[in-house]
Amino acid sequence: MDRALIDSLSSTFDALRVEVPREDRLTVQAPRDAVMSVLSFLKGRGYDHLHMVSCVDWMEEGQFELVYVLSAYGTGQDSASNPGEEIILKTRIPRELPTVVSSISLFKNAEPYEREIHELFGVRFEGHPRLTPLFLERDYEIPPFRKDFDTRQYVEDFFGSIPPVGEEDQDV
Amino acid sequence: MAKPSLLGPLRVIKYLFKKPKTLRYPFELKEPARRYRGFHLNDWDQCTGCGNCADICPNDAIEMVERPEIAPDPGEKNERPRLDYGRCCFCGLCVDICPPGSLRLSRDYFHIHFDTSTFVFTPRDEKTDDETFLPAEKYSVLKASLAHRKRDYQGFEPEIDYALFDPDRVEMPEVPPEERKLSFVEQMLGYDREQAVREAERCLECALCEDACPAHLKISDYIEAVYEDSPEDSLRTIYEDNPIPAICGRICMKHCEDACSLSIRGEPLAIRWLKRFVSDTVRNYRDALEQSPGEPTGKRIAVIGAGPGGLSTAYFLRLLGHEVVVFDELSGGGGMLRVGPPRYRLPEEAIDKDVEYIASLGVDFRFQTRVGRDVEFEELRDEFDAVFLGIGLTVSRSTRVENADRCQLALPFLAKNKTEEKCEVPEEVIVIGGGNVAMDVAREALRLQHIRYPGKRTVTRTVSLEDWDEIPATEEEIEEAREEGVEFNPAWGPKRVVLDDQGNIKGLLCMKVNSVFDEEGRFAPTFHEDQEMFLEGRMIIEAIGQGADFSFLPKEVMERIEFTEARKVRVNENGMTTVPGIFAGGDIVNVNLDAVTAIADAKAASEGIDQWLSGGEG
Amino acid sequence: MRELELYFGPQHLGMVGNFSITLKVEGDRVVKADANPGYLHRGFEKLMEQRSWIKNFPMVCRINVVEPDSMELAYATAVESLAGIEVPERAQFIRSIYLELARVGSHLFGLWAYSNMLGFDTAAQWAMYHRDLVLDLFEELTGGRVYHIYIWPGGVRRDFPEGFEKRLVETLHSIGGCVPDYDACFFDNRLFYDRAAGIGKITREEAMEMGGTGQALRATGVPYDVRKIEPYAAYDKVPWEVPTREDGDAFSRIWVVRDEMIESVHMIFKLLDEMPKGDVYNRIPNPFKWRIPEGETYVRCESSRGELGLYLVSDGGDKPYRVHFRTPSYPHGLTILEKALVGESISDVGNIMISLYVVAPEIDR
Repeated sequence: MDRALIDSLSSTFDALRVEVPREDRLTVQAPRDAVMSVLSFLKGRGYDHLHMVSCVDWMEEGQFELVYVLSAYGTGQDSASNPGEEIILKTRIPRELPTVVSSISLFKNAEPYEREIHELFGVRFEGHPRLTPLFLERDYEIPPFRKDFDTRQYVEDFFGSIPPVGEEDQDV
Repeated sequence: MAKPSLLGPLRVIKYLFKKPKTLRYPFELKEPARRYRGFHLNDWDQCTGCGNCADICPNDAIEMVERPEIAPDPGEKNERPRLDYGRCCFCGLCVDICPPGSLRLSRDYFHIHFDTSTFVFTPRDEKTDDETFLPAEKYSVLKASLAHRKRDYQGFEPEIDYALFDPDRVEMPEVPPEERKLSFVEQMLGYDREQAVREAERCLECALCEDACPAHLKISDYIEAVYEDSPEDSLRTIYEDNPIPAICGRICMKHCEDACSLSIRGEPLAIRWLKRFVSDTVRNYRDALEQSPGEPTGKRIAVIGAGPGGLSTAYFLRLLGHEVVVFDELSGGGGMLRVGPPRYRLPEEAIDKDVEYIASLGVDFRFQTRVGRDVEFEELRDEFDAVFLGIGLTVSRSTRVENADRCQLALPFLAKNKTEEKCEVPEEVIVIGGGNVAMDVAREALRLQHIRYPGKRTVTRTVSLEDWDEIPATEEEIEEAREEGVEFNPAWGPKRVVLDDQGNIKGLLCMKVNSVFDEEGRFAPTFHEDQEMFLEGRMIIEAIGQGADFSFLPKEVMERIEFTEARKVRVNENGMTTVPGIFAGGDIVNVNLDAVTAIADAKAASEGIDQWLSGGEG
Repeated sequence: MRELELYFGPQHLGMVGNFSITLKVEGDRVVKADANPGYLHRGFEKLMEQRSWIKNFPMVCRINVVEPDSMELAYATAVESLAGIEVPERAQFIRSIYLELARVGSHLFGLWAYSNMLGFDTAAQWAMYHRDLVLDLFEELTGGRVYHIYIWPGGVRRDFPEGFEKRLVETLHSIGGCVPDYDACFFDNRLFYDRAAGIGKITREEAMEMGGTGQALRATGVPYDVRKIEPYAAYDKVPWEVPTREDGDAFSRIWVVRDEMIESVHMIFKLLDEMPKGDVYNRIPNPFKWRIPEGETYVRCESSRGELGLYLVSDGGDKPYRVHFRTPSYPHGLTILEKALVGESISDVGNIMISLYVVAPEIDR
């Protein structure tokens, strides 16, 4: 990992926690409000490839963690970034009323990821043009990828309420 | 780029004249690959019913179902895996975890049926199922189903290198044979924490061992506690069923390890060494166990013999609140274990650790008190509410061949070597016997020779009636004895002790054994009288078995105590002899002749005593 | 002209897989496209949070039926990286060979889907037949034809069976021998050119803005390939090229697929030559007691459709805490597709979608 990048990250932003877990990997923990500016900063440094936006439910701590994985396409002339390195940018937001600014303006492919996280975790992305359901068919009391959603109980309740196929149906 | 031509594709018209590639099913069949993952096969003879396949199945497709037609061997269950092919995904994890390797996948994959219940199936293989598995001439692919399958059609099979369990145990550090034969230093050094956790990790938690253990220790639980790096919890679990872990952790006959699933295709989990690790690691039993004797009941029990049976009875009864006094003629606890097993296997410190803990619960030990000499049996009967006999087998037997009176007996030899003044041994020693006691004697004699005649050529040889395949000593004892240099002469029987002119022992004349047991399996050796062998030796030690000494019992009691056909004291399921109020356990009762069975007897007897004293049936 | 809303799929002859697109059309021109996945959503990532580390191994491959193997690799390498498990070198070579074989199989399947959709039945049938030969090889190596369940943490599940290398080489030669016929019949066919050239064009900048990888990006001239930029398995052990094209249309993408298949076959031959002897599996801990230290990792590999990533979190327990697959079809099918369809004719919707190699189960997961 480029030492200069780490230094300029730390000098540009307060309250970032930057770690280098292995040579080709950078983990940045940022406060919620800094996410967009850090993403924009990194994109400007050649990290123009957003792999994914993910979300982890840390229920015990009452937080969601949004995870942005970035790397470089390595096509820019001036970029010193190596496409073999990844940056994992993480931010924690409260589980109650979780909202965060959408990153679509920087990365177009964030659109379905944010839509998915909204659907499966219930995180609101401000400025997202269509937070409509992506995968699911019906509404759930608890967004189903949260840790307090009991899959087995749901299966029991939902499919258990469907009567078994009777003999007469088989003859058809 | 230039636009491609329109005529180029005409080149492939040649395929019109080629043979089609499509298989004309079902007239032309495609043979599945050698490794194909199809329906299951299970060799019911090898399957132990351990249930690991059901535990690893990612889809819960496997359920263990009881099959009453199977009579399980000890350490096995009569359960067999039943597959639900509505759920099975044919991943084969069940094959890779199967400890005996009985579960395999076949190359069959056809099953079509309107009845969904036919998809639930308990697989077997061609060895035991002629109806399902058919030879080629009777098989038709048009009838193929779970009940109509090909013989000898194995696909994905278990391979030990890719098994999901670890067949190799963490090696127990030990003193090498060249070094250990020069002294009585303890041979096994014990696991350290890291080794113990690593070894405990191998446990598959199938718990077959718990059925095999005579005392039914909760082995999976205490091994799991070792894995969780909490030896105190482990010790608490052990003490629920076994109050002498430091002893058992060294000399247990480990029926559990014989039943261990891992032992079938690898080395069993080192359950005994892990127990030893726990007892060695927990320095203060009292703090770890937090036990106290139960509410006083006012009842008093005399326990005769401080061996494993006596110690355990005392412990269990004390926890129930009874007052217990233990009598033993030796100077400390352990009974025969104190005088028998050599120091290099069981140091006295280990025994004392267990005994001291039991004493700390308030059990009264009266050592150097021999019943029948220092105190009369009748006094005990008057003074106490119940008596437990845990006297063990204390008298060595002799071969009674000509001049046998000149030989030494095993037990006095072993006992003396546990004291400061050891036995004198000559440069050539003969040990008669092939059991574990004979191994102890031979290995001690060998050590004494090395200490007494350093650098000189010495020899210790054993003679046993049994040949290699039926020699009664455990494999590891034989292996260790051979490593140290003990010579073996199996399948030879003693004929006569040969003396020289001065009347000193010169050697042993042996004759070739024809057979040891008769057709009904009873001990009845026959010999080839004409095949003789002379073994040189200045000292002969007989280690062919022990008997019990009941001389302390008054005649009227002795007459009322019944014995079984195997010459064992007859007790009921509560451990009571045919004399009310007299209970018994250990080597005088069971045929296993080991510590853990004595503990099992003691558990039954202490529960029986408690019940009997509170007015229940004896 | 009047604007109409048209439901394209999930039951539609031009649609491969359970996926649908809601089209706004004017005449036969697409004005707006809304990708609509979810018909296959099985919640794998949630299911995996409830199964032990080893029980997830037979499951990950099911996320993508077309090329299950890169899923296995992503899961295995992620677990290895979290648990600190080494993989023997021979296993790394076997993994590469196996994954390249999977790429060939997957591309043949894609070729079937694509040429079938365009109406080139001959090439489609050939591709399907040749894919079957590849599946025969998988069956021999792993015991399964479609779900191989072969790459597991610590290495691979079994070594090559006896004589496998020979049959592997023979089969690849016999498929490779048909390349001139494929070319004549399909790739160099004027009809294919007319149907695909200039269709579904995406510029290099657009592709990168929208997270494009794989053929979608390589067809715009960017030699972006995870096997090169962050080599895993044995991809850095032999020389090989990343095929690219410049035009960014359906025609270029399919040609990249063709060239990649040929490159993969050559790579397999080179890997076979270099392959060392030795073990292929370092035993994992007892699966019933296996806990993986707390931590997170992101691993990526080049699947046959583009960059496949896996974000895996362990909380120190016996199961994953969070599993999230970054599948290549996700940006291709949801972002790029919506953009690429605009302005194209209805008859080219399937053409563009399949040329982007959108595999619906990968999006739904």
